[in-house]
Amino acid sequence: MTRWGRLLRADWIGLAVLIVAGAAALSLARPEFLTPYNIDVILVGFCLTVVVALGQGIIIAIGHMNLALGATGCLVAVAFGGSMQFWGLPTWAAVLFGLLLGTACGFVNGWLTYRSGLTSFIVTLATLSIFKGASLGITEAQSFNGISDAVKAFGSDRWGPLPEMLLVAVPVVLATALFLGRTIPGRQMLAYGGNPNAAELSGISRARVVILAHTLSGLLAAVAGMMTVARLQIATPTIGDEWLIASFAAPVIGGAVLSGGHFPVAGTCLGVLVIALINQALVLLAVDPFYVQVLLGLLILAAVGANRLREARLGTGPTLRLS
Amino acid sequence: MTLPMRLRAVSRSNSFGLLIAIALFVLGFHVFAHGFTSKVNIYSITRSIGIDGVIGMAMMTVLVTGGLNLALGAIGVCSAMGVGWALQTLGLPVAPSMLFGVVLGAALGAINGLIVVTTRLHSFVVTLATMSIFFGTMVLLSGSNGFNALPRELTGFGRMRLFGMVSPLLLVMFAVAAVLFYIYRYTAFGREMLAAGANPFAAKLSGLPVERLFIWCHALCGGIGAIAGVMASLRNGAIVPSMAGPLGADWLLPAFLAPVLGGTLLTGGAVSVLGAVLGTVFVEVITSGLYMLQIGEFWIQTALGLVLLGAILLERGRAALALARSTRR
Repeated sequence: MTRWGRLLRADWIGLAVLIVAGAAALSLARPEFLTPYNIDVILVGFCLTVVVALGQGIIIAIGHMNLALGATGCLVAVAFGGSMQFWGLPTWAAVLFGLLLGTACGFVNGWLTYRSGLTSFIVTLATLSIFKGASLGITEAQSFNGISDAVKAFGSDRWGPLPEMLLVAVPVVLATALFLGRTIPGRQMLAYGGNPNAAELSGISRARVVILAHTLSGLLAAVAGMMTVARLQIATPTIGDEWLIASFAAPVIGGAVLSGGHFPVAGTCLGVLVIALINQALVLLAVDPFYVQVLLGLLILAAVGANRLREARLGTGPTLRLS
Repeated sequence: MTLPMRLRAVSRSNSFGLLIAIALFVLGFHVFAHGFTSKVNIYSITRSIGIDGVIGMAMMTVLVTGGLNLALGAIGVCSAMGVGWALQTLGLPVAPSMLFGVVLGAALGAINGLIVVTTRLHSFVVTLATMSIFFGTMVLLSGSNGFNALPRELTGFGRMRLFGMVSPLLLVMFAVAAVLFYIYRYTAFGREMLAAGANPFAAKLSGLPVERLFIWCHALCGGIGAIAGVMASLRNGAIVPSMAGPLGADWLLPAFLAPVLGGTLLTGGAVSVLGAVLGTVFVEVITSGLYMLQIGEFWIQTALGLVLLGAILLERGRAALALARSTRR
């Protein structure tokens, strides 16, 4: 296959074309699209959503799912804010506390999924309600606003048009790509996602893969939760409520296979960019925000449909899977 | 089967365990939670059992296929809004409006089923997408305005108290349960749905129209979801787009709790209507009791999550035990 042929077959090429065309059309229709303010809004949205999407993506890679992603982010956000407001923790300690809490939540998900042998769907549905209830119970549905100045500055500081949050988002993207692409545990995860039985027979530990993937997902949820606190400047227990759709939409639009084994990090980033672009386009064109919902839903269907077509053409994919 | 054997089978069944648990909790809350068995509280429990029971059974009909329906809440709200539209904008009488709502729900469910069957994608991602599409379209069409001038016979039905303490919504739930029980136990259609869900491949080889049956399962789910949507609006006294939370996602926990507690398999092919009813009763008793104990309404969600977790782990342990016992023999 030639270099160009390979490029054309890549997951993300169609998306990249779509994004460039969409952005071009939008900037022609609405010149204010290219103002620094707008680019900033899109970039901040990108930073948050990409971490959320990768948090789900690392689970999708092993063919599981994490419904509790938003609830974990919410619990961490609330604990992060609360630890600063009530315990007076310094920023670094609060961040560490948040990361540890998120990791622990993820570990619980992974351990329960592994030990029970049940689908991660039902396990994380249960922990979703546990974490969500806990964050509502801790805050009594109020917001914590005793956020330290350092965190607030992190959420609002800019270098020219670039938000400081890129300092977290970019390393997270690179680390995830390196982890899944170049490290042994990452490759083992993808192998497990592709075929759990074959992976186990070749000596890959199911316990390690499942628990590690869920733990990393909890860690990323924690990062995203604390970034949201920085952006909103308060910790509210509604953080994470609307992560679920985006967390699946971006990877799926980017070409991820929900049954596991294949996870395109670059594609996911482009998927996030598509979502950010749609959001911004609808704001600029002043249409009802619920069009975003409809459009996002249609986009998911179109994306998974396209993936399935590609699978069919390549002769891979399941022959009879109806459920 | 001799009587002792049958008794032993009953005592090991999921429903029996649930029944014991319900009895223990009712007794405990009666003693410790002041006002748990008051008429007002029993009324509110029976009303919640009615609504959440129907939600759970709606999900159960699609769990049969080994799939699920995240869009259930969205369908319920959409159909209820459809009923409101028929009643208030079209000025139709109650019965045709209801019929319209149920048909709308079934049609939305059938759309899910159709996409699942034709694309062969997992129903999770399909219904994740349609949840957003259905709900978004409904909000756009309605301009997020609810319907609050419901006819008096409808609101009166919602407020009615039988024997001073039983909500008629409970009877609606029993009616739905009875119909489903009949379908799954005694009709060829129901048995075929179960067979198709248990092993689609084998069912297909034995000549069952598996695809069509799965579409029917999703349509059934949508239709029952519509009933639940109307019931939930009767509790509020109005039909509002936000009654099931963002995108209807607030229904997910009750929808899965009841069937899973009742022993419906997530892998498909096995249902327990009685189990789903008892599962709902169990959940509502715990919810109401904890509420009465004043542990704070937000922690109840945590408690329900723990119940779900405990139940699935217990079920798992029991299955492992049963396997160990049968292999030792």
